[in-house]
Amino acid sequence: MDYLIFSFSLMLIYIGLAQLLHIQFGLAGIPNFGVVGFWGLGLYGTGVLYVNYDVPLVPAIAIAALIAAGAAYVLARLILQKSGQAILAATLAFATIVALLVISEKQLTGGVIGLGTIGYPFGDFSERNVVYGGILIAVVAALIWVSARLRDSRLGRVLIAIRDNEELAASLGKDTAATKRMIFVVTCGLMGVLGGLSAPLHQFLVPYHLAPSLTFAVWIALVLGGKGHNFGAIIGVFLTFGLFDILIETYAPVPTEQAILLPNFKLFCYGLLLVGIIMFRPAGLLGEDGPHTRSGRDTPRPAPEPAPKES
Amino acid sequence: MQLHAETLTKSYHQHEVVNIEKVTFGAKGVEGLIGPNGAGKSTLMGLLTRRIAPTSGTIKLDTDKGSTALNPLRSHEVARIGLIKTNQRIQGFDSLTIRDSLRLAATAPSDEGIGSIFGGKRDTDEIEDQVATYLEAFPFSDRNGHARSGGEKKLVDILRCLIARPRLLLMDEPTAGLPDDITRIVMDMVRAKVAAGEMRVVVVEHDLPLIWEYCDYVHFLSEGSILFEGEPDEVKSNRVVAEKYMGV
Repeated sequence: MDYLIFSFSLMLIYIGLAQLLHIQFGLAGIPNFGVVGFWGLGLYGTGVLYVNYDVPLVPAIAIAALIAAGAAYVLARLILQKSGQAILAATLAFATIVALLVISEKQLTGGVIGLGTIGYPFGDFSERNVVYGGILIAVVAALIWVSARLRDSRLGRVLIAIRDNEELAASLGKDTAATKRMIFVVTCGLMGVLGGLSAPLHQFLVPYHLAPSLTFAVWIALVLGGKGHNFGAIIGVFLTFGLFDILIETYAPVPTEQAILLPNFKLFCYGLLLVGIIMFRPAGLLGEDGPHTRSGRDTPRPAPEPAPKES
Repeated sequence: MQLHAETLTKSYHQHEVVNIEKVTFGAKGVEGLIGPNGAGKSTLMGLLTRRIAPTSGTIKLDTDKGSTALNPLRSHEVARIGLIKTNQRIQGFDSLTIRDSLRLAATAPSDEGIGSIFGGKRDTDEIEDQVATYLEAFPFSDRNGHARSGGEKKLVDILRCLIARPRLLLMDEPTAGLPDDITRIVMDMVRAKVAAGEMRVVVVEHDLPLIWEYCDYVHFLSEGSILFEGEPDEVKSNRVVAEKYMGV
């Protein structure tokens, strides 16, 4: 039961990350391939402050999120006005740098040995993981609500305009560079918050958590569900993480000798799903525009950007 | 608002495309910029909107707040001062409906901050009214949908610029891709705005009858230089213009 609650809590984190990526890529068109880097700064920032400096959990998460936002600001200054490929490569490299720093800065992070333990932000009682899961639900629900509001707001309209034709948006007086930077910094900071919130779930932090597979899982979920759709990210996470990590890995009656193959089988299925989606439904399962948006007229639209490749 | 260019040159591989001693745009109501193919009209337009960097020379923007050099500005800053250009080639926001595209252009950037996520209504009645006025003046195939044909996209591009309240509007070949009757409605609308003192206009155009009909002043550009300027009748009867352009 505890494991199920852990898995569901982790799934909520993934939904939150996919929602933030929906804002970054689906609305503003920023291909952030360093999701795990910003999440990881939040995770390890919180861990280091909590374990080494005895900062209580909530302020630790806040400080760690600010660090993630600060890193996003520097990165945004350097690369955000470059081409999509450049942003993709630079954010991927950024995430790798974060992972390597965590391994090399042993005094702070414990290196490969790990860092722990991180407790829940409230007293010791038996159902605290359930309560914590409830907090996560509230946080992620708030994120989804804000992202839905954003899409239908004046700011969201500017983001869509920037995604479609940045030069044209600038020629109408929109400060496209500053708008993209602001959105990138805020959403990356929120990825840091989700990282900090993940710290008590993992309790003991190891560099393995910062593997790029998290970035890819979130991307696959977003592409699967539909990058331009609010609920695409949620459905995508259910179909990938929920289906494989929770349902099959935990509950499917797989013989022990085959169980070791499951993670590889999972990657295989992710890849297959991705290829299928790109071939048959390039806008994702839910498509581009939901019926709730004001721009909901059904018109043929050009082919979307090529979806990310799995590593 | 006026644009002053002085000793403005632009060369590509030592070949001079534009070489203008001195020119002022925006002093009269509607100004035309004409010239044969390859005269440097598009390059001059690019220089004026800062899309192309000049080889030498300066462009100054005179407003009632004073005079600013155009070159250090970024494109959104140029637009916010009030210098806006319609596009010769079709440009658009594919995911926005015609209505949303116009609302976007009508909305002030200061209203598009992060606070707008939590505000109530997205667009004020004032903006909706403005958008409706423009939309109703034209026969769109689907007013609430997306621009479909190339002509509709071109029209939306011009309307976007008009609704963004320019002080000096540069129109790059507005007739290209537009049906005649639509061009007339657009140009009448432009004339009315100029007459009301809302803006000044520079039209680059090959369609000479349109230039003679709507312009108060015409600049004739040939081989990169302004060869002649004057009122339409003067330009029409000028010998140089006739030789170089109208092939008489």
